Amino acid sequence: MEEQLKSVGNKAMNHAQKLGALEAEIFLYIENHTSVKFVGGIFASRSKAIKGLKGTFARIAEPWIKKKGIPIVSSGTKAGVGVRAVINKAIGFSSVSSLEETKVLEAVEEAVKIAKIRPPDPNWISLPDPKTPNEKGGIFDNKIADLSADRILEMSANCCTAAGDYDKRIMQAMSMITADSLTWGIVNTKGIEVFDKGTAFSAYVGTKAKSKGEEVSSGDFLISRTLTENVTPIAVSASKRTVECFGKRTLPEKHVGPVVFENESWAQLFAVIFTAGISGYNVQENRSVLKDKLSQKVAEEKVSILDDGTLPEGIGTAKMDDEGVPRQKTPIIEKGVLTSFLYDNYSARRESRESTGNSSRRRDPVAAYSNQPMIRPSNMILEPGARSLEALIGEVKNGVLVKGSLIGAGHSNVVTGDFSVTADNAFKIENGAVAYPLKACSVAGNLYQALNSIVAIGNDSRTFGSVINPSVAIEKIVAST
Amino acid sequence: MNSHIEDLMGKTIKHALTNGADFAEAKGEDTTTRNIEAVNKETRTVSQVRNIGIGIRAFCGKANGFSFSNMLNEENVFHAAETAVKIANASSKKTLMKMKLAEVKAVQEKRSTNVAKHPKDVSLDEKKDLCFRQCQTAMEAGKQIANVRSLFGEYYGTIFYANSEGTSVAYEPLLVGLTVSCVAKKGELIVDARDAHGGTAGLTAFEEEKHTPEKMAENAAKWALEKLKAKPAPAGKFDAVIDQSLAGVLAHESFGHLSEADFVVVGGSPLTGRIGQKLGTDIVSIVDEGLPQNGGYSVHFDDEGVPCSRVEILKNGVLTHFLQNRLTARVLKMEPTGNARSQDYSFEPIVRMRNTYFASGDRKPEEALSELKQGIYAIDTAGGQVQETGTFLFKAIRGYWVENGEKKYPLRDVALTGNILELLKNVEAVCNDLELHSTPFGGCGKIEQRAFVGTGGPHMRIKNVQFGGAR
Repeated sequence: MEEQLKSVGNKAMNHAQKLGALEAEIFLYIENHTSVKFVGGIFASRSKAIKGLKGTFARIAEPWIKKKGIPIVSSGTKAGVGVRAVINKAIGFSSVSSLEETKVLEAVEEAVKIAKIRPPDPNWISLPDPKTPNEKGGIFDNKIADLSADRILEMSANCCTAAGDYDKRIMQAMSMITADSLTWGIVNTKGIEVFDKGTAFSAYVGTKAKSKGEEVSSGDFLISRTLTENVTPIAVSASKRTVECFGKRTLPEKHVGPVVFENESWAQLFAVIFTAGISGYNVQENRSVLKDKLSQKVAEEKVSILDDGTLPEGIGTAKMDDEGVPRQKTPIIEKGVLTSFLYDNYSARRESRESTGNSSRRRDPVAAYSNQPMIRPSNMILEPGARSLEALIGEVKNGVLVKGSLIGAGHSNVVTGDFSVTADNAFKIENGAVAYPLKACSVAGNLYQALNSIVAIGNDSRTFGSVINPSVAIEKIVAST
Repeated sequence: MNSHIEDLMGKTIKHALTNGADFAEAKGEDTTTRNIEAVNKETRTVSQVRNIGIGIRAFCGKANGFSFSNMLNEENVFHAAETAVKIANASSKKTLMKMKLAEVKAVQEKRSTNVAKHPKDVSLDEKKDLCFRQCQTAMEAGKQIANVRSLFGEYYGTIFYANSEGTSVAYEPLLVGLTVSCVAKKGELIVDARDAHGGTAGLTAFEEEKHTPEKMAENAAKWALEKLKAKPAPAGKFDAVIDQSLAGVLAHESFGHLSEADFVVVGGSPLTGRIGQKLGTDIVSIVDEGLPQNGGYSVHFDDEGVPCSRVEILKNGVLTHFLQNRLTARVLKMEPTGNARSQDYSFEPIVRMRNTYFASGDRKPEEALSELKQGIYAIDTAGGQVQETGTFLFKAIRGYWVENGEKKYPLRDVALTGNILELLKNVEAVCNDLELHSTPFGGCGKIEQRAFVGTGGPHMRIKNVQFGGAR
């Protein structure tokens, strides 16, 4: 596979130079992707929804949504190239979903054409130079590469059954499992020629429960580089997290005080806001409050954040980034002090420094070869503390626990760090213990202020794609129901 | 051209049958997307994406399986066919009800799209100039114009479909779009406005007087500057006139999705079981079709090879049809309508809209406005939120406060909320100025798939619309 990619890449590169490109870069990518979505449907015998349907529609709808549900399975291969051609500091980008020579060469011609109509970019210096690549990339698990669609279907169906069996109030379960195995590489006219491969496996289970007119929902998931043979614990946990939300109440008054964010909830804010804030490009473009803050204290001393592209089990780990620069470890915050931003080739050269190996083209659901590179963390790790989530809760007299997925995290102001989200799985904390679940709870604050007022960091680190973090307790956040 | 793709599709279908499929179908495509972005007359991004590949769906026993490949040789596409059959067999064991397709007549037909100034024949330079002309005009419109962004996009190519029942069709999709947005600043106040045009057409679309780059830029700049003087819209219930763009988004987002039969079949839609019921006033009709006369995005066949028919979802206020694919049509014992669509070859077809719009009425737009005693004229929207129940919140891009049929002053922060099923009962006037638009930027999203659609309508007057309520 790698040999085929190399041969295509070199031909494309030579073609670009022949057409007048001063520099050229070919990104080559093959992905085997299988996804199973199993809508476990409504567990018929328990369902008022079905009894509510009348006549023909009840007869039609029932078999569709009874116990076993509807599987939606897709499995296939995508391959393609992304070409960047540079002429007089102007960059042209073109991509094609093919490795066929004629089509790849046409894509090269198109990239050259585009470069020719663009004005020079004064900030462009050159493509990256070759460096000694990392010996090891991330994990490639043959068990994932060899996983059949019907095996995943079985796993997915079992999840729905397990989720329903956990509690008779569970009305609906949905599970989604994906398996990916990838081979990719970069060749450029500076002499870079690096290839790597990797696997990833992810599972998600969402459940809805209904009782006495109250409807609650939650979910759980995992993502890893190796195959998890038994995923039903995720389903059990999803149902457990759902039914613990029964009996929702409102807050007696608007809460301005301690809030404990479970790792999953914190990860969403952390991934959206902090990822943008530490992008070298955003800093250069004046779109980050961290600008001019290098070597300054930007967080509590207990906060250390590291981007580590060499962590074997990390989702973003590889021998190199998507421009062929070796992945590396970059300390971002050490004991509260800002030590570095993250750079790709363009933003690094712009200020005469080295790329930190943080160029990425991965943006689902579009195939990587169709995207131009941008700065993304590889595995951004908030270093864990010593205490459990329970211990974090135990120290709060009067507060709120935010769990699960947040609505609106994606709409945060990534420049200022302000967020305003709704938590469907939030709880009141009274005297160091979870008191009762809360109705749709609005939670608003500022991520950078939060980093400066972290009371405690948990020891329960989990991987959420490109971020790895534990739960955290923040001194002052506004919450209302 | 592309007989290679069709040839492989035919062989793949046969291979699936040999491996035990009862029915097999394939979608092939070779499409190209180009985008140009210019900010203040600086080219920001220029990119091209070409998408080629084949997707295959096989039916075995009670279920179906889907697979795809873009490595277009026999080894890889045959492997995809085998995978689809394997998935179908495995799914069959997990499904209680037999998923069967409604019967349709086999069709063999190829349709080409011939327009003047097809984007494939026009130089990149000329397209870039469309953006530059927009920037130039808008930047000269006033000192308070702080930022101008212009986007040009195009999508074209060929889409093929074939199945084991003998259907074999192909058509050439085409979509072009040009958008300009202006940000105006005065002190702390920052406002924006935009103008856009797009659909299945050649670049002559931007030579029409209403849609030249200069005219659109002039509009966007004028509207942005006007918004600097605008008052925030009052909250409360008012009678309203809405423009064509806003009508289109209402038709698509808040009503169209409810009429998608996959949503109806599982009882999820509030329209379930309501065929024949009167949902709106006599003058309201909502249509979804593949080949509208007044613009929009042309879809000739859906991704199950069914010719796209004109569906009158709502006719004179009465619910008459749902949007169907062959699976839902079979379950509901109705006709397939050609609404099975997939984002590209790597996704399986699901029920999707094509061009959804409020049908034209007989009133003149001047009349609709002059009869508005007191209320709000709400124009265009950049989106909002809708729920499965038909409850919506849309933010109009701009608007006017109207008294005795006259626009008194411009408004900003115009947000409309309500439920579409109630709104349809309050439509008092439907005008004769139907317009349809489509855009290559984004498109409609459903179950992780995107699709290009058209939306539109005429000006309409609606009583008792709730304004405000945006957080």
